[in-house]
Amino acid sequence: MTVKIVTDSVADLPPEVVQELGITVVPLNVRFGEKVYRDGIDLTAEQFYERLKHSQILPVTSVPSPATFAEAYDKLAEETDEILAIILSSKLSGTCEVALQSIGLMKRKCRVEVIDSQSAIMGEGLVAITAARAAQAGASLDEVKDIAQRNVKRVEFRAAFDTLEYLKRGGRIGAAQALLGSVLKINPIIMIKDGVVHPAGRERSRTKAIDHLCHFAMGYAHIEEMAIEDATTPDDAEMLAERLSVKFPKERIYRSKTSPVIGTHTGPHILIVSVLGDSE
Amino acid sequence: MKQVDSISGQELREMFVAATTWLEKSASDVDALNVFPVPDGDTGTNMLLTMRSSMEEAYRAPDRSASAVAQAMAKGALIGARGNSGVILSQIWRGLAQGLQEKKSFVGSDLADALQQASIMAYQGLSNPVEGTMLTVIREASSAAQAQVATGSSDLISVMQAIVSTAKESVANTPSLLPVLREAGVVDAGGQGLYTILEGALYYLRGEVEQMQLRKPWMIASSVPLAARTPQMLTVEEVPYGYCTNFLLKGEGLDPDKLRLKLAKKGLSLIVVGDDSTIRVHIHALDPGKILHYVAPLGTLHEISIRNMDEQYQDFLKMQKEGIPATDIAIIAVVSGDGLTEVFRSLGAAAIVLGGQTMNPSTKELLQAVESVVSDKVIILPNNKNIVLTAGQVQSLTEKKVEVVPTETIPQGVAALLAFDFEADFETNTQIMKKTRSTVKSIEITRAVRSTQLGKLSIKKKQAIGFLDGDLVAVGDNTTDVLNEALARLGLEEAEVVTIYYGADTEAAEAERVSASIREQNPQLQIEVIRGGQPHYNYIVSVE
Repeated sequence: MTVKIVTDSVADLPPEVVQELGITVVPLNVRFGEKVYRDGIDLTAEQFYERLKHSQILPVTSVPSPATFAEAYDKLAEETDEILAIILSSKLSGTCEVALQSIGLMKRKCRVEVIDSQSAIMGEGLVAITAARAAQAGASLDEVKDIAQRNVKRVEFRAAFDTLEYLKRGGRIGAAQALLGSVLKINPIIMIKDGVVHPAGRERSRTKAIDHLCHFAMGYAHIEEMAIEDATTPDDAEMLAERLSVKFPKERIYRSKTSPVIGTHTGPHILIVSVLGDSE
Repeated sequence: MKQVDSISGQELREMFVAATTWLEKSASDVDALNVFPVPDGDTGTNMLLTMRSSMEEAYRAPDRSASAVAQAMAKGALIGARGNSGVILSQIWRGLAQGLQEKKSFVGSDLADALQQASIMAYQGLSNPVEGTMLTVIREASSAAQAQVATGSSDLISVMQAIVSTAKESVANTPSLLPVLREAGVVDAGGQGLYTILEGALYYLRGEVEQMQLRKPWMIASSVPLAARTPQMLTVEEVPYGYCTNFLLKGEGLDPDKLRLKLAKKGLSLIVVGDDSTIRVHIHALDPGKILHYVAPLGTLHEISIRNMDEQYQDFLKMQKEGIPATDIAIIAVVSGDGLTEVFRSLGAAAIVLGGQTMNPSTKELLQAVESVVSDKVIILPNNKNIVLTAGQVQSLTEKKVEVVPTETIPQGVAALLAFDFEADFETNTQIMKKTRSTVKSIEITRAVRSTQLGKLSIKKKQAIGFLDGDLVAVGDNTTDVLNEALARLGLEEAEVVTIYYGADTEAAEAERVSASIREQNPQLQIEVIRGGQPHYNYIVSVE
């Protein structure tokens, strides 16, 4: 039986990829006041960023309930006996813990393994995509798990922010707090290292920030997968894809929108390039 | 004193509805405490939403027995659990429901037993239970309930009273168990939330529901003083020793309490939770072999994990250090003017040496600055042509590794500092900063101190003069005109960002006018005006 892949909404997978590869996406939650929305289901990225602009209350995020995971597992267990869940960094969220715990709540019998992607957004997404492709090709759970664990170490991203205010407020700024407090206006560049947010650079303008993302991807010796995502700036994403097309076929670059849960911590002007590959 | 001997399922529900209302009053205060595991400030709200889901389900219980209501509460919490605290809370209700199984109503000793079950379930739910959190609170509260029952005075109010007062002490003590709380000077948010729920339940039992409407839950103060957030703290902290030993003991007729007593003398940080068939043990021991040898005859051992804590502690220290990036490299900048000092400080310069044109710092002053910073590796940004050489002399006078990135102007210094790579080593950073220095153009506008002839330019004393990367390019009576001339000489067609630092003798309004006129002619530019406060120079302009 084919191994089924589960991931969370923070992986920012494009809907057509989810469909094609038969990946199950478990939503985290975004809360405005006391109203809770399931990431990407009750609230689309478009609706969310529109709301973020006008809302007096600032949103907060929370992990999926154990029941949500258990239901997702049980549903898949109707058609498979092996499931691999690829989840966002356990140092940024308790989702991994919930994904693990929910196994005990399952009604059906099925082997479930959980992997901490030590990343988020399409960094996590690319790990899920490559795992799902391996599963489709008939790999066993152990094989898929092995591939995913190797790819966790081979995936990196750079995210260009306009401001770190959202990240700071959400409590996930980590070592990137070194970038806070500048008298000069700067465009911070962020990465995730060992599952935690780290500073990757600071540029004086959006254009230079996009240059930074471009140089980062161009520096790879071999690129296996690439993804570009934005929240509300499709033109910047398109320009970046165009520039990187000399390095990697443009039609193979995954394009997606940053989910509301991530958007809560990044603000609306986030632009991210994720690469799965080898730098040497 | 009022006594309640037994309560039904319906009363159980009413009790926790009251407790939920009580929690609601302080949910935002609990949010504010939240620093662990992720300081995202939503623990109170998450617990409240979990409780609401739990209570909604309680109304859907198939009958009014305590067992059915508790089961429904557990189910509701499970479905509606939000956040880490909500998940742990759902485990607690699950344990409570197991403890109250098949009971139509329950008495004090039942509550004590159910709470113990809840505590076990809470711990079992987590792969890595952390002390100093709501786990500790539920565990200690449940032990207190057992102790209260053992005294013989076991009506529900007495038992709940014991639970609440122990929970309170337990919450106050959380900062002494979890360093992150101590550093932040707060008690654990989840612990506080759980305490508030239990306290609300107690008020209900006492029949004080009406009084509750007028009061607000107490926020518990930390029993240990706030620790200053200094790096030195890491070294004075008690170093754990020995082996962190964990295992699950399975068997028949096991006695967790007896085992706890037996093991207490064999190590530190002991946790023993479980029932007569399964016991989970966590202990820090110098000789884990002895522990295993002792428990092996009692049943079968599972999930044995023995980790060297000195290694764990070193990893922890390493992690702490990594959390504070680049502390091993310090950057020292030579700057004058309070505004410019703030610019360099805010970008991470570890020390500022006062100096610039006409006031070059001595080698000794630079050396003192190098010695004063904690790091062993230091990069100096002289920010003036005449200081580059002086800075170079420091290298031979100190044990520390010193590199000079020969920035000749303030804009070069800022560009170099901005390019600092937090993830790169000393050598790489020196290279990156040297390279970046030349990506920026500098314009400096000052006044001539005497009349002179320079090339084709004839300069009178006190006239405004403009330099482009150190070369004299413009002279005139009006500062603004000279600045514009220098900018025209440079050409702004290719530029993206212009930063104008205006000096101590220049009006902010004038700087704004200059900025507006540049913007008018070059609408594509990003222009920033900053008070540099530097002496002598009316304007220092960076063009990138």
